[in-house]
Amino acid sequence: MASLRMVLVSVLVAMAVSAGGVAARPLVGDGGAWEDRAPLQTSRPFNIAHRGSNGELPEETAAAYVRAIDEGADFIEADIEATKDGHLVCFHDTTLDDTTDVADHPEFAGRRRTLEVQWANVTGYFITDFTLTELKTLRAKQRWDFRDNSHNGVSPIITFDEFIDIALNAKRVVGIYPEMKNPVFMNKHVRWADGKKFEDKFVATLKKYGYGGKYMSPAWCAKPVFLQSFAPTSLVHAAGLTDSPLVFLIDDVTVRTEDTNQPYDEITSGEYLDYMKKYVVGIGPWKDTVVPPTKGNLLGTPSDLVAIAHARGLQVHPYTYRNENEFLHFNFRQDPYAEYDYWINDVGVDGLFTDFPASLRRFQEWTTKKKD
Amino acid sequence: MGGRLWLTAERLDGCCITTRKSQRLALERGDADTELASHGRSLSLLPRGRWPGPRPATECFGRDDGTGHDVSLIVLVLLLIGVSNSKANPAAPPHSHSHSQLDVNHKKPIQTFRPYNIAHRGSNGELPEETAAAYLRAIEEGADFIETDILASKDGHLICFHDVTLDATTNVAYHTEFADRKRTYEVQGENVTGWFIVDFTLKELKSLRVKQRLSFRDQRYNGKYQIITFEEYILIALYADRIVGIYPEIKNPIFINQHVKWSGGKKFEDKFVEMLLKYGYKGEYMSEDWLKQPLFIQSFAPTSLIYISNMTNSPKLFLIDDTTIPTQDTNQSYYEITSNSYLEFIRNYVIGIGPWKDTIVPPNPKDNCLAQPTDLVARAHSLNLQVHPYTFRNENQYLHFDFHQDPYAEYEYWLNEISVDGLFTDFTGSLHKYQEWTTPYQKKEKNPEALLREIANMLKNDGY
Repeated sequence: MASLRMVLVSVLVAMAVSAGGVAARPLVGDGGAWEDRAPLQTSRPFNIAHRGSNGELPEETAAAYVRAIDEGADFIEADIEATKDGHLVCFHDTTLDDTTDVADHPEFAGRRRTLEVQWANVTGYFITDFTLTELKTLRAKQRWDFRDNSHNGVSPIITFDEFIDIALNAKRVVGIYPEMKNPVFMNKHVRWADGKKFEDKFVATLKKYGYGGKYMSPAWCAKPVFLQSFAPTSLVHAAGLTDSPLVFLIDDVTVRTEDTNQPYDEITSGEYLDYMKKYVVGIGPWKDTVVPPTKGNLLGTPSDLVAIAHARGLQVHPYTYRNENEFLHFNFRQDPYAEYDYWINDVGVDGLFTDFPASLRRFQEWTTKKKD
Repeated sequence: MGGRLWLTAERLDGCCITTRKSQRLALERGDADTELASHGRSLSLLPRGRWPGPRPATECFGRDDGTGHDVSLIVLVLLLIGVSNSKANPAAPPHSHSHSQLDVNHKKPIQTFRPYNIAHRGSNGELPEETAAAYLRAIEEGADFIETDILASKDGHLICFHDVTLDATTNVAYHTEFADRKRTYEVQGENVTGWFIVDFTLKELKSLRVKQRLSFRDQRYNGKYQIITFEEYILIALYADRIVGIYPEIKNPIFINQHVKWSGGKKFEDKFVEMLLKYGYKGEYMSEDWLKQPLFIQSFAPTSLIYISNMTNSPKLFLIDDTTIPTQDTNQSYYEITSNSYLEFIRNYVIGIGPWKDTIVPPNPKDNCLAQPTDLVARAHSLNLQVHPYTFRNENQYLHFDFHQDPYAEYEYWLNEISVDGLFTDFTGSLHKYQEWTTPYQKKEKNPEALLREIANMLKNDGY
């Protein structure tokens, strides 16, 4: 496909440029040749390609993002972390073990170690111990063995810049949904020369590419973005640097916030959301806390979190929707579309982080009445 | 609530259905064997001699998993019918629903414009296979046909059950009174060990409870439902509030005929067809009779299909197993029975074939992606044979990676790329949704072949 080739060529060029340590020039400006692109749909819940189309391709690779765009995702989502030499890259884990071939690189064998991540000891090859050049020698692999592993060893890790390029080079307006991932850990292990912090670098990258503007403003519609994080202080800090919309991620009921050490019950209370409402436009909870399952793997009684959020004008974008039956509660009879039906029509969420944007896209296309 | 449902229902294990409706129906059928009773006494819709009559209340509740309540299946069936009917026309006065629940002229007809949604063993992705509950769920979910495997009990009753052994889908292992019946028989050339269905009378089978075969499916209905008979299965279809087809299989006929004997020299196939004729199933494919009570008879054994061809003109389907499995009766290989010459021969007796889908489009074992499709469908279609592959399942372990763990992508491929005519699915609800979302109604423009077929049927019905 011509468009696919174009995107891949531009990404490769950007990669070549950035691999040399020079910040990539944005290949696409604020409009120009791409002004006629089909706009972002805003009439139905957002289809957010969680780590790209990672049900089909290794997560957070260019291939996964391009596939997600082909499949109709509204947003492509990425976790942003930092390398040893301060580059921002798309990567989910703090360690490289599960999703790269680092273990096959004898030159890095000595780097395996144990660090504390969110109060737990983690052992592996830490991304913050590798320069960007070194990371670029690695190849991504599919995290799950029950997913297609035929693309293992093909794609490299990409940078935040390259991720943005993919979105901006798409044939239609595609939003980005980057996360300030593990900011406490990143700021602890990576230092930037100018005294800036991880969050500063993150926002600066977005501004470099012209991202800015409140939710649903014309500027935002031209370059849709949501910034997300589990760390409330990072969000508050970012809110001081940009007027782009922010989303507050909420982990499982047993997990405390990595920066403020607050428990689930506190950060989902009406009072706390009243406070966060000044900084964020929505929350992103783990779906099994919104409607906790029973021991028999059925849906239990829904919590009131969605109502509390909606009452404050906050959007709700739960994570994560997956097609495989081991992730589906029995109410959905092993049918991922039944799950989408429930969350969109019964619970009434505003966006969905999905590993399978193609499936969500099909469900929405087949069931949402088109405006004539 | 329409005035249809006053009944005292007891269970389907030989206990009887009491309704004024069923009294009248029995009269309409003119079934001399049926015992008519005055109001208050129980009535059997089923011929005497089979059922000893109503049982005392204590016997009606057989062993179960201790939850203490068995589902009263006829209640369930008829309540569902009553509820759905009263919902259908709430404004109508109660006495307006005066026609019989079996009156097909007032039922929504079976769809015939798109490939058939065949609920394989009922909605067995959700409920234990081949139970009344699984079939009722399948009908609720929109199945065109409910499918079943027919085997025989020791005392010659035809029952809905897939395996020749009871081990995988019942709690027989917990019935200490049957502990000594475990044995080894040869089944299709292989030694199989277990509790064989042909070693149990119907009454004994009815004391068992069915469980979900696959551990990764919902287990919460284990121990609740019984094995049902061919007769009970037919009644479920006939009592549905729309026309629902049946798709029974003459299952393991060699084995059954070897182990079960009927009086009068009848064979398994004879009893099978007798049951269908008793309930009025007849008529060639797409005839008026067939549209009222749609039916496909299926079997892996060609001689069984040929044998019954003189007894019924109902459409038959020839099932084809994996490439390594020879036919159980004629010992013919996959390659022989899928050859053009054999298909031309079997075309005299059947209107279609039912292959295992991985033989039509074999997967590449190395990467679990689809390899090159064979020409089986094209050759079958050129001989005017329908193709109904089995079996479609939602769970990702059954989906080749081309489908990205999305069962709807698999339906899309088989319906639009391969263009099959029916699908055996464990998830009739999902297939129904897919079809409703993508082909909810017939397109206006008809292709010439469809028009010709319609004209041919019209002429046939007029006796030409």
